[in-house]
Amino acid sequence: MIKIQGLHKSFGELEVLNGIDYEVKEKEIICVIGPSGSGKSTFLRCINMLEDVTSGDVFIDGVKVNDAKTDINAIRKEVGMVFQQFNLFPHMRVLENITIAPIKIKNMNPKEAQTLAHQLLKKVGLGDKANSYPEQLSGGQMQRVAIARALAMQPKIMLFDEPTSALDPEMVNEVLDVMKQLANEGMTMVVVTHEMGFAKEMGDRVLFMDQGLLVEEGTPEQIFNSPQHERTQAFLSKVL
Amino acid sequence: MDFPDIRWDIIWNYKELFIRGIWITLALTIVGYLGGIVLGLFLGMGKLSKKKWIYYPSKYYVDFFRGTPLLVQILLIHLAIIPAIFGHSLGYFVSGCVALILNSAAYNAEIIRAGIQSIEKGQMEAARSLGMPNNMAMRHIILPQALRRMIPPLGNELIALLKDSSLVTVIAANDLLYAGKVVAGAYSRFWEPYITVAILYLFLTFFFGKIITYVENRFSNSFVPKQKKGMFSIRR
Ligand SMILES: Nc1ncnc2c1ncn2[C@@H]1O[C@H](COP(=O)(O)OP(=O)(O)OP(=O)(O)O)[C@@H](O)[C@H]1O
Ligand SMILES: [Mg+2]
Repeated sequence: MIKIQGLHKSFGELEVLNGIDYEVKEKEIICVIGPSGSGKSTFLRCINMLEDVTSGDVFIDGVKVNDAKTDINAIRKEVGMVFQQFNLFPHMRVLENITIAPIKIKNMNPKEAQTLAHQLLKKVGLGDKANSYPEQLSGGQMQRVAIARALAMQPKIMLFDEPTSALDPEMVNEVLDVMKQLANEGMTMVVVTHEMGFAKEMGDRVLFMDQGLLVEEGTPEQIFNSPQHERTQAFLSKVL
Repeated sequence: MDFPDIRWDIIWNYKELFIRGIWITLALTIVGYLGGIVLGLFLGMGKLSKKKWIYYPSKYYVDFFRGTPLLVQILLIHLAIIPAIFGHSLGYFVSGCVALILNSAAYNAEIIRAGIQSIEKGQMEAARSLGMPNNMAMRHIILPQALRRMIPPLGNELIALLKDSSLVTVIAANDLLYAGKVVAGAYSRFWEPYITVAILYLFLTFFFGKIITYVENRFSNSFVPKQKKGMFSIRR
């Protein structure tokens, strides 16, 4: 579903991704772990072209994403993204945060979009917050709205960049629960996370990245119980 | 010091001139301001553009109008540019409006650029990640937030423009300052007309200041609409 070939990314002199090859299959839950600065976010952001790639290719459903002829907005409709800092639109109510994209981009009629938004809010456990503004919500609630906002475009793939890292500990689970529910419904997900518990429980594959390289890849059992690579072992001994 | 005996009756005799002056000053200011915001919006976004053919013209425009005196711009537009384009003058009001629009647009462009840049990068990224094209994200996500942050500096700009509009006197626009000049010339008296002009400008800036404060409070930091007074306010 997502195919990444020889992906390189530099910011000026700084080489952040040094050649990554990977293929994500439909309905897979991919968890990406690794030390800070290893390029996890950059990797994720290259998938939906929030960063343009320096060399290499990214394909989604066989369509080359980093091609000037590809309509990137059409691709992004299919790929939802959730950010560490939520990035809700503060000048809109929760309901509008969720409906604006379907209305403006998919030309969905507003009534229909609102019905969809209410369904999604119920799904993330915030049925009563439709008329609130983001600043009136807690971090966990904001992140759940952000997930609902991404889902409103009915994407085939969801990308998560440390969705719980900015949250107070007591709010982490409410967000992880929503993500687990989504995973169980068969969403294809790529999740950058420091929540090793989530990776172990939900991940189909776990990717360990370090210094811009995909150092090791495997099932959660393989990565967490018998990591092959030194750097993986060193990293896991620190975080577990 | 030699103070003359003040003769306010002179001013009273010319009251129509002053009243017309106020209207013209107001009209110049408002037209210049609104036109300057619209043009400034495009220039401000132009200065943020990655496309060189948009960026450089915007930058040079702003540099020129901020780097040369408004007085010179007014004379150039009135005496040289407009006659060159239309073959004759279009009158002081058109020249005055054009000069004020073009000039304030340059200052507004900087305010607008800074306002847009002050919005966290994540907002644009979130909008783009949903599939919004750049222009749509700008219009629905970035500008509504940025405009709020621009309100205080744009308010200052309004007051500055009101005062700067007095420079159109140089092309014999019948604005407020010009009324003072006419009276001063007719009587060779300077205290009464210029004090009157000063006081009237002060009234106008005060009045605009009130409007600005109202707008600032209305759109203060929070996006949550203010509760209607009385619901939660403590009664005396
Ligand atoms: N826009 C940018 N310009 C320049 N350098 C950048 C930019 N974005 C990221 N980098 C650099 O690229 C490297 C990898 O960053 P990235 O954010 O992908 O790491 P990460 O693995 O997500 O780290 P973290 O766990 O801290 O989020 C870092 O050294 C970072 O400073
Ligand atoms: Mg990161």
